[in-house]
Amino acid sequence: MRSLLEVDGISVSFDGFRAINNLSFNIGEAELRAVIGPNGAGKTTFMDIVTGKTRPDEGRVLWGEPSKSLLKMNEAQIARAGVGRKFQRPTVFEDQTVAANLTMALKANRNPFAVLGWRPSRGSAVRVAELAAEVGLADQLDRKSGELSHGQKQWLEIGMLLAQEPRLLLVDEPAAGMTLAEREQTTTLLRRLAETRAVVVVEHDMDFVRRLDCKVTVLHQGSVLAEGSLDHVTRNPDVIEVYLGR
Amino acid sequence: MTRKPFLLQNPSVLVVLGLLAAFTLAVTLLSQAYGTGLIPTSTVKILGKTLCLALAAVAMDLVWGYVGILSLGQMAFFALGGYMIGQWLMYARTETIVAASLANNPIPPTPLELQQAVANQIFGVVGSADLPLVWGLAHSLTAQLILVVAVPGLLALLFGWLAFRSRVNGVYLSILTQAMTLALALWLFQNDSGFRGNNGLSGLQNIPGLDAVGQATLSVWFLWASAAALGLGYLLAAWLVSGKFGSVIRAIRDDETRVRFLGYPVEGFKLVVFVLAAMITAIAGALYYPQAGIINPAELAPIASIYLAVWVAIGGRGRLYGAVIGAVVVSLLSSWFTGGRAPDLALPGYVVKWVDWWQVALGLSFVLVTLFAPKGISGLFDWLAGILPPRRHGRDLGPDLGALQEQEAKA
Repeated sequence: MRSLLEVDGISVSFDGFRAINNLSFNIGEAELRAVIGPNGAGKTTFMDIVTGKTRPDEGRVLWGEPSKSLLKMNEAQIARAGVGRKFQRPTVFEDQTVAANLTMALKANRNPFAVLGWRPSRGSAVRVAELAAEVGLADQLDRKSGELSHGQKQWLEIGMLLAQEPRLLLVDEPAAGMTLAEREQTTTLLRRLAETRAVVVVEHDMDFVRRLDCKVTVLHQGSVLAEGSLDHVTRNPDVIEVYLGR
Repeated sequence: MTRKPFLLQNPSVLVVLGLLAAFTLAVTLLSQAYGTGLIPTSTVKILGKTLCLALAAVAMDLVWGYVGILSLGQMAFFALGGYMIGQWLMYARTETIVAASLANNPIPPTPLELQQAVANQIFGVVGSADLPLVWGLAHSLTAQLILVVAVPGLLALLFGWLAFRSRVNGVYLSILTQAMTLALALWLFQNDSGFRGNNGLSGLQNIPGLDAVGQATLSVWFLWASAAALGLGYLLAAWLVSGKFGSVIRAIRDDETRVRFLGYPVEGFKLVVFVLAAMITAIAGALYYPQAGIINPAELAPIASIYLAVWVAIGGRGRLYGAVIGAVVVSLLSSWFTGGRAPDLALPGYVVKWVDWWQVALGLSFVLVTLFAPKGISGLFDWLAGILPPRRHGRDLGPDLGALQEQEAKA
């Protein structure tokens, strides 16, 4: 399978602490992948590097075909290239309605002057309604997103990511703070998303990862410790020692 | 989604424009030039200047209330607009006077002689007789009108580009903008910077070619111009913040990092608003100083820009009408209390003289507004309209059992 994102031998250190150490990682089109690892394993730093928030000291990050280096682009350019990111805490614009949040995220020209000339159309309204329905917020369109529950905010954020039509979705701990019912819905949503695009889920909750039923990458001290199915990696003695055995 | 006309979607714009028109008409009908004469010309000038300040406040609200850039250097753009129009006003008027006096000479003056005589008149006060380079276009009204928006616009573009691209934010950005206005003021204070040092430009109330019109009529004309500028500026600002552009800039104010991950070039948006606001502020300044009659570098003092922020805060930032209300109410109150006409407040054992105590009262009310009414005066309108922040009295935030409670969500 051709890879969509190719991370090759990246390292980064903060004040002498090596957060990522010669990490390599590939993901293909339409693939669901879970990244697990203990605290400080470098999961979030890895996402920061892919999305342009942090620059690695060495290594390369290649994207798409023909492959382009993501390291020369800023956050906004990377997002426009098709990398969407969902943060651990739901970050939606609380002062604005669900519809405004989704409209802002809709794939469109992001240039300030183009945005100035943008007017809602029948197509955009339909698309916003579809997205809201997909994440279960169809009847909440006119509510301020600050009024939504924690779980609903998470979904709204996922809806905004969908509106961006990314080719790769990076999802940081989607299940944190969710009720059991909300988790199940989230699992279904993520699995469905992965049918048409690449999805990388960072999570420490093993039950949640098991329900995702996908290939798992275990990170430890900034590099890949094991990769394979969940059953495969949980039998790996190194993994048991550093992570599961605790 | 139905698309209503812009003004119907934003009824507050109609209200503001209607009030502005009614105010202008009322002042005109009570003025000495066009009406009963109940309002003296000096008061008409104060009201006209107040409208200019309100326009500057609207621009400040765009920058601060909507994009979240607390710029404490807006009055630099205001004063630059004033200086640019002042150059033409002073040059053209001096030229008329000098030409009249030289006309009696046996040999008519050459254009060069005329220019030297004008330069001598204008710059004699700072011990110079040459026309500085920056006055090269002062003879042309068109050129100076273009410079009114071009010079502050370019300054804002350069400053904003440097500051935003290095992601200077919050209080550091505010300090930088203060430094900008202070540096500009100090430069203008120098005699050899070409703007007559601390003398500034004066006699700006005399409009060349309109000597026959008289100040009473001119003051009303300027009131009309200021009202028109405020109306148009308000309309432009309201249009800007209404659509998706408004959505994006408010999002930048609330969480700039998240907006970047949506793919928006945050710096570009900030720059567009910052430059546009600088140009609007400069137009306000260009209308203000002919009514004030004089401009000098003290107008760029950092405190002036801080006042502008205080007006917007008291009026209510993030609401365009809040900015107008704040600027009008606070600046008129300020000039009343500091004008010596406010009656003293006799407390037992101490007499409060407002001239001395007004600043203290203003400072105190700024602190109180910030602490207890962050939406300022416009919060009252929200309260009347029933727009309240979501308050759920500790109940669940969501429809499903076990969703977070309000208290948990805040933590």
